[in-house]
Formats: sequence, structure tokens, C-alpha cells
Amino acid sequence: MRGIATDVATGYYIAGSSRLHRRNPLTKLLGLLFVLVAAFLLPALSLAVLAALLAGVAISAGLAGALLGSLRIPSVLVVSIVVVNTLFFPGGRDVMLEVGPLSITQQGLTFGLVSAGRLLVVFVASVLFLFTTLADDLLETLVARGVSHRIAFVVQSAVQLIPRMRHRAAGILAAQQARGLSVSGSLVRRLRVLVPLVGPVLLASLVDVRERTLALEARGFGARPGRTAYRVVPDSGLDRVLRVTLIVAILAVIVSAVAGLGR
Amino acid sequence: MRTPIRVEALTIRYPGRPLPSLDDVSITVERGERLGIAGRTGAGKSSLALAVAGFIPRVVRASVAGRVLIDGTGGTDAMKAAPGDLLGRVGIVFSSPSSQLSGSKLTVREELAFGLENLGIPPSQMDGRIDAVMERLGISHLAEREPSSLSGGEQQRVAIASIVTMGPEILVLDEPAAELDPTGAAAVAALLDDLAAAGTTILHAEHDPVALGACDRVVLLEAGRIVPAMASLPPCESLAWTVGPGRQGTAVTIEHVSHRYPNGIEALRDISLKISAGEAVAIVGANGSGKTTLVKQLNGLLRPTHGRVLLDDAPTDGIPVNRLAATVGFAFQDPGDQLFERSVEREVSFGPRQLGRSGTEGSAAEISALVEAALSMTGLTGEREVNPYDLDRSRRKLVALAGVLAMDPAVLVLDEPATGQDRDGIERVGLIVRAMQAAGRTVIAITHDMAFATRWFDRVVVMHEGRLVDHPPPAA
Repeated sequence: MRGIATDVATGYYIAGSSRLHRRNPLTKLLGLLFVLVAAFLLPALSLAVLAALLAGVAISAGLAGALLGSLRIPSVLVVSIVVVNTLFFPGGRDVMLEVGPLSITQQGLTFGLVSAGRLLVVFVASVLFLFTTLADDLLETLVARGVSHRIAFVVQSAVQLIPRMRHRAAGILAAQQARGLSVSGSLVRRLRVLVPLVGPVLLASLVDVRERTLALEARGFGARPGRTAYRVVPDSGLDRVLRVTLIVAILAVIVSAVAGLGR
Repeated sequence: MRTPIRVEALTIRYPGRPLPSLDDVSITVERGERLGIAGRTGAGKSSLALAVAGFIPRVVRASVAGRVLIDGTGGTDAMKAAPGDLLGRVGIVFSSPSSQLSGSKLTVREELAFGLENLGIPPSQMDGRIDAVMERLGISHLAEREPSSLSGGEQQRVAIASIVTMGPEILVLDEPAAELDPTGAAAVAALLDDLAAAGTTILHAEHDPVALGACDRVVLLEAGRIVPAMASLPPCESLAWTVGPGRQGTAVTIEHVSHRYPNGIEALRDISLKISAGEAVAIVGANGSGKTTLVKQLNGLLRPTHGRVLLDDAPTDGIPVNRLAATVGFAFQDPGDQLFERSVEREVSFGPRQLGRSGTEGSAAEISALVEAALSMTGLTGEREVNPYDLDRSRRKLVALAGVLAMDPAVLVLDEPATGQDRDGIERVGLIVRAMQAAGRTVIAITHDMAFATRWFDRVVVMHEGRLVDHPPPAA
């Protein structure tokens, strides 16, 4: 499948030359880790700061539109987290409103909003990472940093997992259509088309991994120390400063959270 | 001087298979020698190649007995070697590009650099080595292209280059030219001549008699054992398509069709072609000339950017792929793009079951008759319970073909049906073409095998850089 296959090497990468694009993949990975740690360990108000920060980064990288487009993926989950918690949070005491047998509690609403906010902030940070980082650059950076080849391969595969599966699913769907499968019609009918896709796509993903293993083995990936790099992934002084700052910030967040637990 | 490859009493048994794939095989290959390994599909050629390259049992699981001694590794057994021991000494090339490209490199040049990086070659030396190999294989013009945007044959040449760049002393080849056009195959043959002359030891598993003829010596495998000479082939059976008789073929008209991919590559440029009902037409041309793009327009897998396709004078614009499938059956070049069911029988019956569901085809009995006929035509009746992924590539291609035959299409479109088949397999595909044509069907096939095209087809059309040419360009 030409055309679709192009997706796999580039994944979600959106070509650009913004400051975020130019950051070293490791810097961005640490940034992502910082957002993850801060979103879950700092008080809920910090979510607003993180969200504003991420929005600023997205706008400066020219990715605001693409980011908004990607938000429809977690939207159902986010809304359902808020709704379910608002109505059924076990610690809900202060009833704000009663609708028939259901009661909306203040604690439930707060918990729902905070949980959804955390998820959303981490999702946005991950998407910005994927939009601005090539899977191959990530692999090269990790390997150059002495990360084991196996782990680098797993991380890269994880980044490419969804583009690969999408590519396989599109290929299998085309093959099924070419043999008479109808994919139009009601929503229920279209969902019924997707169910039989699950098994073959999973199987094809396993075959994919096997084929890639053969390819990497034949080229001696990880077979020997002293690997060289044809294309050096840029790493600037700014990146090094940012990485130290991020590591300090991550540790500070963890320490403050642990200290907070002790009180 | 020690022997580069010494295989001693090698037996290989894959889990879940009753018979060993290789049974007590011993061979030696001397330095600079080019040894051909011939034999039918399933004879054990690939297993031998994988073992010599150190892939069995470390990467491909199997129980083994015997030894594979590779010189230059201190006489270690390739089957017990650590990954780094054989690196740079032994290179292996497979027949299909999907298991040879890294899938993450953005240019062909970076793809070729990948192996050099793993060898620890200084970056300053990489471009020189890469350019030299690309030039010898005639792929210099592809250097900055994205590997996944290339055609199957172009990708295969990149895959061969990616191993040869690493400069192995021993080169193991498993049908490296199966997907290549004559020009590409000639470039690979010339490269192998040069490498052998320069002292590279080559073990070459192959069906193609021309490639085997270039070897210093040929060993024949049959059912996992070395046999003295090619056993005579069984007399050619004739095949007939007897279900749904009297169905008339459909004429195919391609009117001024152009196709541009989203990445801007213009694969088809104003193609017009009329194919009569019941005609058998072969489309030949170099890898990357647009053959696959053209035939994908026929069932709507791709749509013309300009122009249109008509089936019996009815335009196909706007008709979904699944409805066109009732008329146009399409067998993919790479069976991996087509097969998805867990048994051969389920795979083959998928098409007729879908058509039955939409009411255009008949009862369960009719479906089962179609499936039986398709299995018997492709010689797969005995493999109906097998998972297609457990078959080798040439038989997976036959499963894909059976899946299309079972839909009894008025127009049968085959993308490279003969590649990767042994002599019997090519003969069988040819007989299927003839049988379908005798039953009134229109057959359109892509092939790069000129002998196959002229033997089994009424007409041969040639594509070159996205256009049809009246006269084939002189062979390079």
C-alpha cells in the first residue's frame, strides 16, 4: 500500500522548524516526564499553569490547530470521567443538585474535573512530543546515550505502534473490500465491520514485529558495541540547560509530594 | 586457508511440523565460490540459508542437530554464535523487502547507513560506500527517496544494497531477485559476478535457472535432503474452471487515466487501454513504472486523478470497492497485504461469503463449490486447515489467488502472480490463466517475466515511467 505506508516512518510527525521541533528528543522526553509527574503529584491548581504552558508551547510551534484536532480522541473519555464522578463519586457529600434518583455532589464534580484535567494535560504533552519528534531520532538519541538497544527498540515501536496498526488495518480493510466487504451503512453496521478486523490486525502486528526483528538482525542492530551515527541528532547548549532544569524540577516535585504525604 | 562455509550433518526441525525441514545435509563452500541451492518450494533452501547466516535457532526458532562452521569466527558454530560474531562477515538477503527494511528511516541513504552504523564504520567513510553500491545496483536516483514510497522491486534493490554495503565476506541469498524486473535482476547478477570475482563466498538459494547457471556449482535439495539430479517433473496437468459456466467476460476500458499520489509522485500519465471481454493481457515494465498503480484503478483501490475506468462501457466512478469486487477480482502482489483469516479455507471463502451476504451470489452449497474449485485449481486442497502464515511465501501467494478465484470474477486481476513460484508454481499459475480465459473470463496480469507473459497471454503491453509504450524499450 503505497501512500499509506508513508505514515509509518514519520508517524504523527508534523514537519517544522520551531523551537520545540529543534529540541533534542531526550529534552522533550524529560519535558513529557515532568508534565506527567507534575500533573499527578502537584496540587490541582498547578494543572491550570501546566495547561497554559502547553498551550503557549503549541502556539509558538504552530501546532495549535493540529492539537485541537487531536483532542477529539480523548474527548469521550474526558467527558465520561467528569460525568461519572460528578454523579457517583463515593466520597460525595455536599449535594449541589438532585435530578430524580441522581445527585450531583461538589466533591464528585471537583474530583471528576481534576482527574480529567490531569489526563488531558498528559495527553496534550504526549501529542506535542509525537508531533515534533521523529521516531528514528528518538531511537538514535537513546542508543547514543547508552540506552540498551532492546529498550530503544521497544520505545520506538511504542511510538510507531498506532501508525503501524492503522497502516495494517487500512491494508486489511482494503483487502476485505476488494473481496466484497461492505463498509458503508449504519453506525452499527460499520462497527460490525471493525470487530472482525481486531484479530487480523493484532496478528499482523505480531508479524510486523517479527519481520522488523529479521531486518534489524540482518543489519546487526545492537550486535556489537561502538555503534557510529551517520546523521547526528542535534543537541544544543540550551538543550543541556533545559535537561538539567527539568531533572531538578522533576526531583523537586517528587520530594515535595513525598514531604506532603508525611504531614 | 580454511573453508568459509562447512555444513555438517545439519538437521532442522520447526516446532509443530511432523517432518524435518532439512535432514542430515552436509555441504562445503570454498572461498570465492558461488554455490547455488536449487529445489522446489518447501525443499529446505531457506532453512539452509537461515542456518548459515546464524538466524536459526537464535532468531527463527527450530530444533537443530549438526554444525554450521563459519571461517573467520574461530571455527565457531553459526548456530551457537552470539549476534556480534557473524556481523560484517556473513550477510543475508531475503526475497521480500518487508522483512529487510528498518521501517523508520526517512531516506534510502539513511537506510543504507544503518548497517554501517551498527558495524561502527566512521561516518566520514559511509557516503563513499553507500554511493558505490547504489551505483552498481542502479538505484542512485532513489538515494533521497523515502523507502516506503518505493515500489516492491525498488525496495528489494535497496534491501540488497543495504547488506552488500556492509561488505560481508560471505553472502547468503534467498531468491534475492524474485521481485525484480529484468533490468534489476541483471544489475544484481552483475554485482554478484563482481563480488564473486573479488573473493566473496556466495550461497545462493534460487529458482531461476539463469541465476543458477551463473553459479560455480549447484546443489539440489528435495524434501530436506540433497539429491543427485532434478527429478523429472510430473506431467503437466490441465486445469479447468467449471463453476458458474456461461458467465461472460467483461470488457475493461481505461480512458486517459492519470494518478498522482498524495506525496506528489505522478505514477500514471494519461493511460488509455482497451481490453476485450475474454482477453488475457499481460502488463510488463520496470519496477516503479506504475503497473500496480494502474491495476489498482480497475477495482477502485485507487481512483484516477484524471480520466476514468469503464467496465463493459459503464463508468466505475463512485462505485465502492466492495461492489466492484463482484466483477473485478484482485490478487495482491504481497500476500501479506491480502491474507487475514486464520485458516486457508476461511481465507478462500471470505470473498464468496461477502458476496453471498449482499445477495449477488447463491447459497452455502454454491459457496462451498466455489471454494473447492479454487482450492483444487491452486493445489491447496490438502492445506485447507493450515494457517496461511504457516505457509511459505509462494504458497501464501497461491492462497491469495485462490481467495480471488473463489469469487468467480468476470475480470481477474493478478499483480505479479508468478514471482517467487518455482517451475511447477509458474506452470500452475499459467494454467489457471488459461483455464479462466477458457471459461470466458478476462484476465489482466502484471509480470516482469517476459517468457511467462508471451507464453500464457494474448497480448503484452509495456509500461514505462507511468505511460504505455508501443514498443518495449531496448533491454538495458
